[in-house]
Amino acid sequence: MTGDGGAGGSLLGSTAVLHRRRAGVPAGQPVGRRPARRSRLARVRRAAVPYGFIAPALLLLALFGLLPIVVAAGVSLTDLDIGGLGHPDTIRVIGLDNYRRLFEDAAFWRSIQTTGLFVGLGVPVIITVSLAVAVGLNASRSRFFRALRAFYFLPAITAIVAIALIWGYLYNSQFGLFNQLLGAVGLEPVAWLSQPGTARVAVALVAVWRATGLNIIIFLAALQSIPPEYHEAAALDGAGRWTTFWRVTFPLLRFALFFVTVTTLIGWLQFFDEPYVLTRGGPVGATTSVSLFIFKNGFSLNQFGYASAGSMVLFVIIASVTVLQLRLARGTDD
Amino acid sequence: MRRTTSTLRLGVAAAATALVLAACGNSGSTPGAADATDAGSSEAPTLSVWVMGDSGANLEAAVKPFTEKTGIAVDVEAIPWDSVNDRLTTAVASGKGPDVTQIGLSQLASFMDGGALEDISGKIADYPNLASANFPSAVSAENLNPDGGVYSVPWVSDTRVLFYRSDILAQAGFAAPPATWDELRTTAKALAGRGEGQFGYYIPQWDAPLPVTYTWQTGTDVMKDGKIDLDTDGFRAAVDHYLAFYQDGSVPTASDFDQTTGFISGAAPMLVSGPYLANAIKEQAPDLDGKWSVSPVPTDSKGTSLFAGSNLGVWAGSKNVDASLQLINFLAGPATQVAWYKANGELPAVTAAFDDPALADDPLVAVYAKQLQDSKPLPISTAWDAANAAILETLNAIALTGADKAQSLDALNQTIEEINAR
Repeated sequence: MTGDGGAGGSLLGSTAVLHRRRAGVPAGQPVGRRPARRSRLARVRRAAVPYGFIAPALLLLALFGLLPIVVAAGVSLTDLDIGGLGHPDTIRVIGLDNYRRLFEDAAFWRSIQTTGLFVGLGVPVIITVSLAVAVGLNASRSRFFRALRAFYFLPAITAIVAIALIWGYLYNSQFGLFNQLLGAVGLEPVAWLSQPGTARVAVALVAVWRATGLNIIIFLAALQSIPPEYHEAAALDGAGRWTTFWRVTFPLLRFALFFVTVTTLIGWLQFFDEPYVLTRGGPVGATTSVSLFIFKNGFSLNQFGYASAGSMVLFVIIASVTVLQLRLARGTDD
Repeated sequence: MRRTTSTLRLGVAAAATALVLAACGNSGSTPGAADATDAGSSEAPTLSVWVMGDSGANLEAAVKPFTEKTGIAVDVEAIPWDSVNDRLTTAVASGKGPDVTQIGLSQLASFMDGGALEDISGKIADYPNLASANFPSAVSAENLNPDGGVYSVPWVSDTRVLFYRSDILAQAGFAAPPATWDELRTTAKALAGRGEGQFGYYIPQWDAPLPVTYTWQTGTDVMKDGKIDLDTDGFRAAVDHYLAFYQDGSVPTASDFDQTTGFISGAAPMLVSGPYLANAIKEQAPDLDGKWSVSPVPTDSKGTSLFAGSNLGVWAGSKNVDASLQLINFLAGPATQVAWYKANGELPAVTAAFDDPALADDPLVAVYAKQLQDSKPLPISTAWDAANAAILETLNAIALTGADKAQSLDALNQTIEEINAR
């Protein structure tokens, strides 16, 4: 661990040196501090300026980030439905009844299980696949590899509805391409989207395919920012490719890896798009994630209070997982 | 220091503005100031109309004669069926809706519950085309408005009949389509025996009305004293009928089985569906003409089917109630209804329109018309939507994942009790 810390530190150190050189500041002197006496008023003013700068961002965050959460928390304590929307005087505050009902609802527990399964399946696969592809793409900077990079990024910028349509056709059990290919080599057809077990894998596969592109770019950027000197030094020390990757490259990817893990995990905890467009949560509820459960109750059955309670639970789960990750990451930093 | 406080004050002011704005959004949720109603009746207004699905262009053409005659312009907005509920909730929450809206019968309860529709019972007498007697009794004013008032009137109708491939049935030795539950089951089983990948019948796993119509066919209702009641022998018989096709291996188990493709290829030579399937077959497989037909749904003690379709209603708080009713009255005229059938393929809701040669001479329409005489809409209650989902989930779990029938039905009845209590 100390090795990584040293490498990371020296990386940061070297960029700081670069900045100094560009700014024409002699090494050893701290950047940006000017020796001058200020009155108390000026000092307060200086202290306030940063708040002025972040105020617009804070305001937007409060308006579109915090306020909806507060509203949802409030709604989750009521029996708001379409009738309550039309006649606000009929809305009743029912305390924690929605939460009680939620924890007694077998469908909700199943959706938590399903989400857990998707997370367990999707997150490791995405990280491994995108890292592997990024390492492969990093092997050369020729035109062909640059074209490949664009190719892998394509799914990330394609509309989900188009993706669903195409994959729906590929997977279809009557006329899908996959089953025709299987048939051509003499294999039994697979009920891709219509058997609970396979449907989960099939839906997760589309999500993996769609999400790897962006993560490949992130890993690739991190790989390309590693100074070649490290690899040269490792080569001089007689380290093989495998050792170089695990002892030099991989530790230097820690920040990228952390970022990708956090965002991918949050994304999969909110897993929604793919099951919504491909299976509508079926067959027999096998691909109903927590988000889809909330959506169905909120926007198909118009039970806004109940759906809000579900979204508060999901919010707490995601927040705890993320905080835990940040804690763990801080632990490794020390 | 002064600068700090002023920055602070600015922040507080901005936050306050935000709150006020949010509050404004809320106060708007009470739709319809009554005094605003009919303010614009002196000069010809422009009506905004919501039509569902992809019939927007057809409706624009259909209302041209109306605009020419009355000078009332019509602004049509087509809303995809998938986003109807989103549009409804945002319109109810913001208080900003159209003047006239199409309402799918399955969504009528949500529209009424949300207070989205104007009670037109006081004015309807002035519009002869909207009299309840013009429509089938299944969608009479009393049936559509269980709590009184008149919030919508029928516009187009739709029902479910048995589609069958006469060529495949004849090959298997069946001269006529099955007319009873037992005949349906034996025919389906025989047809499924044609080989691998061949079925006798098709049950759409998303088709919530199907188990309900089966229950009606036993002579049992699914509602009792305004509450959902599935703890009946009739419902249990319907469940057995539903599951029998799975036990016999007569139906596909794949949830993505496409009924149009399956019917055309012959993999599913019988199924219960609506007139839209007939249109799809004619369009996709014109050469299949003469090899398929429709007949009334197979019966147990009754032959009741689903009455689907759409109504038209005036949005609560519309400033153009009278002009809106004129438009609805125009659209409910027998001539307009026939023209709409020709243009858009949707069956008329007005009984008299079925006498027009365009409909009367079509053998398929004759079957639809006969079935419409014995059809009922799903219960008009928002609780029913939740019940629907629970019924389908239970039946599919028993049929597809082998869940225990007795336990699952007990759990279903418990869920129904909770839904009733809400």
